[in-house]
Amino acid sequence: MNRTVCGGFSGRRFGALVIGRGLAVLAAAALLVPWVQAQGTAGALGGEMAQAWRFLRLEDPAVRYVVWGTLLLGTTCGLLGGFMVVRRMALVGDALSHAVLPGVAVGFLWNMSRDPVAIFVGATIAGLIGTAFVSALTRTTRLKEDAALGLVLASFFAVGLCLLSLIQRLPSAQSAGLSHFLFGQAATIGPEDIRVMAVVAAVVILFVLALYKELVAVAFDAAFARSQGLPAAVVHHAFMFLLAAAVVIALQAVGVVLVSALLVTPAATAYLLTRSLPRLLLYSALLGGAAGLAGAFLSFLGPALPTGPLIVIAASVWFGVAVLFGPREGWCIRLWRRRVGVGRTRRENTLKSMYHVAEVDGFARAGVTLEELAARRRETVEEVRRLGVELRSHGLARLEREVLYFTPEGRRRAGEIVRNHRLWELYLTQSANFAPDHVHDHAENIEHVLGEAVVRELERRLNHARWDPHGRIIPSSSELERPAPLEGGGLR
Amino acid sequence: MTPEWVLPAFDAHAALVAPWTEHRDTFGWVGVMGFCVAAACGLLGNYLLLRRMALMGDAVSHSVLPGLVIAFLVSGGRGTGPMFAGALVAGLVATLIIDLLQSRTPLKQDAAIGIVFSTLFAIGVVLAVAFAGQIDLDPDCVLNGELLFVALEPSVAVGSLTLAPPAVIRMASVLALVIAVIVVGYRALLVSSFDPGIARSAGVHVRGVRLGLMLLLSLVVVSAFEAVGAVLVVAMLILPGATATLITERLPRMHGIAVVHAGASVWLGVGLAVWLDCSLAPAIVVAGAALFVAAWLMGPRGGLLIQLWERNRVQS
Amino acid sequence: MPSSLSTPAIPPVLEIHDLTVAYRRKPVLWGVDLAVGPGQLVGIIGPNGAGKSTLIKACMGLTPVQGGWVRFWGRPFAEVCSRVGYVPQRETVDWDFPVSVMDVVLMGRYGRIGLFRRPSRADREVARACLEQVQLLPYADRQISNLSGGQQQRVFLARALAQEAEVYFMDEPFAGVDAATEASIVVVLRTLRDRGCTLFVVHHDLPTARQYFDRLLLLNLNVVAFGPTAEVFTADLLQRTYGGRLTLLSEVAQALGAQGGSR
Repeated sequence: MNRTVCGGFSGRRFGALVIGRGLAVLAAAALLVPWVQAQGTAGALGGEMAQAWRFLRLEDPAVRYVVWGTLLLGTTCGLLGGFMVVRRMALVGDALSHAVLPGVAVGFLWNMSRDPVAIFVGATIAGLIGTAFVSALTRTTRLKEDAALGLVLASFFAVGLCLLSLIQRLPSAQSAGLSHFLFGQAATIGPEDIRVMAVVAAVVILFVLALYKELVAVAFDAAFARSQGLPAAVVHHAFMFLLAAAVVIALQAVGVVLVSALLVTPAATAYLLTRSLPRLLLYSALLGGAAGLAGAFLSFLGPALPTGPLIVIAASVWFGVAVLFGPREGWCIRLWRRRVGVGRTRRENTLKSMYHVAEVDGFARAGVTLEELAARRRETVEEVRRLGVELRSHGLARLEREVLYFTPEGRRRAGEIVRNHRLWELYLTQSANFAPDHVHDHAENIEHVLGEAVVRELERRLNHARWDPHGRIIPSSSELERPAPLEGGGLR
Repeated sequence: MTPEWVLPAFDAHAALVAPWTEHRDTFGWVGVMGFCVAAACGLLGNYLLLRRMALMGDAVSHSVLPGLVIAFLVSGGRGTGPMFAGALVAGLVATLIIDLLQSRTPLKQDAAIGIVFSTLFAIGVVLAVAFAGQIDLDPDCVLNGELLFVALEPSVAVGSLTLAPPAVIRMASVLALVIAVIVVGYRALLVSSFDPGIARSAGVHVRGVRLGLMLLLSLVVVSAFEAVGAVLVVAMLILPGATATLITERLPRMHGIAVVHAGASVWLGVGLAVWLDCSLAPAIVVAGAALFVAAWLMGPRGGLLIQLWERNRVQS
Repeated sequence: MPSSLSTPAIPPVLEIHDLTVAYRRKPVLWGVDLAVGPGQLVGIIGPNGAGKSTLIKACMGLTPVQGGWVRFWGRPFAEVCSRVGYVPQRETVDWDFPVSVMDVVLMGRYGRIGLFRRPSRADREVARACLEQVQLLPYADRQISNLSGGQQQRVFLARALAQEAEVYFMDEPFAGVDAATEASIVVVLRTLRDRGCTLFVVHHDLPTARQYFDRLLLLNLNVVAFGPTAEVFTADLLQRTYGGRLTLLSEVAQALGAQGGSR
């Protein structure tokens, strides 16, 4: 519980850092790609700037289509992906995107042209058949879901490749456009495609807004939702249908292999940032849209850079930033938390040692000499002096002529730690049947993390006991509240 | 449908027999190569299925691409050695990152796999395109594989003895290695797949076994990559084992069935490719999938038809 | 008694007739008959794999049924589902799911709220009251991933309470719960019973089953016995539930395909 308190506090302080570093990484990524490009094509930097400016003005209709397209795709997929990640079905998107390939081929064969509507219908149907296969396999065989997904994914894909290779051999087919579905080619997005994307995006957003409650209920506990008479099956199938539709509209821009990244990566990033579902969905949609824009922008800077993979890389950069600098579970914040914790534990242990020394003669003397402390801690005077200086810098003790004196705050903290330790030892021996000589090490760790509420509860359960299992006095909470005199024997 | 697209007439002899008799020069090594790939993948796939790691193959096969590209850029040539090493390293890096994400973030395995494979693949594509002038990487090869091309290379000759094309020799040695590992490490593999706790107490190094399996997986996937491409490898890994689970519940027999499945799907797949005049590797996978569906419908243990029959019986 | 002849008999709260459920080839429930009236706390006990959870799920239409029927107040489940509450097993959901305790309890209201609508203030009040009843109100805004096992179980209980149902099915509500929590759950169950609700509780601990429940349903593939706890909790009947004759029945069930036997 102490951890969550600590997380809340440091999270806020880390927020600013996160944003700052995130922007820095972004800038670095934005610089790196043109650099790679410059190495490859020896393009001039001035050309890059002009190109970026052209992109930002959005005057070019081709640029506008790509921007709108990637933005719509990223948002749609991000929104749906949020539900998939929390339902642990992240790889369903992967299976779905590969399974649509035969549908693309059949849609093409339908009237021998790259007709977006025919291909959309064919691909969506194929995707749905693929997911139906996955659920039928897991229900009727002993195969686990991952095996069923991989099996359907690769088998459908193979069928699609066979059909595509057939199409390529047809004499009259204008099949040039079809290979775009494999790797994606955002530049081919036209007004027709934008219309389809906008419709799908609008339907998805309306669907999520209108049926949010049902979607969450089904995602969290489908059996319970069904037992209440909620149309769980309808909701699930509608969701899968929209998912298939979203995958299909994304195919053209990103390609079969990488579509699933649009679904998974922004949502997984959002999952690292928040534990509230509405916020997770919002972040996921925003991150998806931002990845789409970033990918479009970066690919525009170079003549031949593919948009789809750059969108995926942009989304992965967001993810990497979240893993490293996320405010909740980020690796940096964990390191930082641990360092803070280590420092605090060290100071508290020093205070405790001072308390122990002072306790021996009933707090008769005002201070504790460094030598006494060193003997107590089995350390050199030099090491102990460093600890004393640390206490002083935190306002917990004064150090005068080789003697340490508690400040009121230090005295209170020392009492608390000793109290926590002894209460916990007593609790272990009385309520958990630990032998008295076993409890010390447990208590060494617990004493630093017991919160005030738990301590009160412990005191209550132990009937405000005065003596610990080793026969020493337990300082009580009420005594610690009023500042005891430094040289008080007040405790005894 | 439009009239210009008509199914070619099916000639059983031309599709199923002729490739292995009259046209043996063309299809002989294709068959051997295809079988080696399918059998090595299938045997290893059994264990992936047992450990619910079926999709790790997906992740590894996609991450091979950036490995190849980077190795090419670093070594400056298409030498087999550096390319192989690069792909292998990339595959291992992918599995390590997945493990790391799984253990150090709240994300589950599915999300970790999805993110890692797509990121690495995207990096591979971007690098390949950015350095298109220097790299001759056919996108078709990445997805379709070049089974026909691989097997048509001139054979390696030792002295006066003509052996086999180099790719076939490589793949056959990988298959031999897989078989050797399974024979030697059968117990350790079985126990650590089934119950890691018991395995640990029995003195099996569970992490070591897992690492070894990942290494073997990377090796198999990388060797199979040029023949069947990034995605179809996944089918090769899963289909034989999945078919075997529908037919038997015993692991030793599953190995045999996986090998039979591999052989049968190569035979039928080549037939399919000859008949329809389509790509080889996808055709082999389609044939393998058809065999799987057949086992699913008619398998003696919980086949769909049997289940249907049982249900009627209980009901009556 | 002329009056009783003129008024039609009140249908029982739950009536099950010849219910048969099979999973793959193996029957899980076989010809179950049952009739239960209002205001009863019924424990369902039996060995592992006896079909306890399956019975509950079959009653609520959550699992396909091969034969027989289930009626609540003489009507099929679909017509009365808002009057039936459910506590599933705790492990069936992902407790890392990003929702708060309050969100989960509010889900108990969704059946009543209707499609497309948001929970109202009144729904929130009900949810708060239910949380209060299981002593979890201070945790209302916690993420469910931060809860202990006993707290998770009480969240599920609160969600079922929020359904304000008249019949409750509870699947192992005491599994993995400490003694204090168990006692507090029993108090809630008895309160519900005293209000006239009928509760079916899957339970696997025999000694406590005897204390907790008014009636016991001994189940192993079919109903071994059903009646007041004092009458049913006998060595003979328990022996028949947990061993002996009935295991033969389950063996026959497993070999059904070969034997070709049917009822």
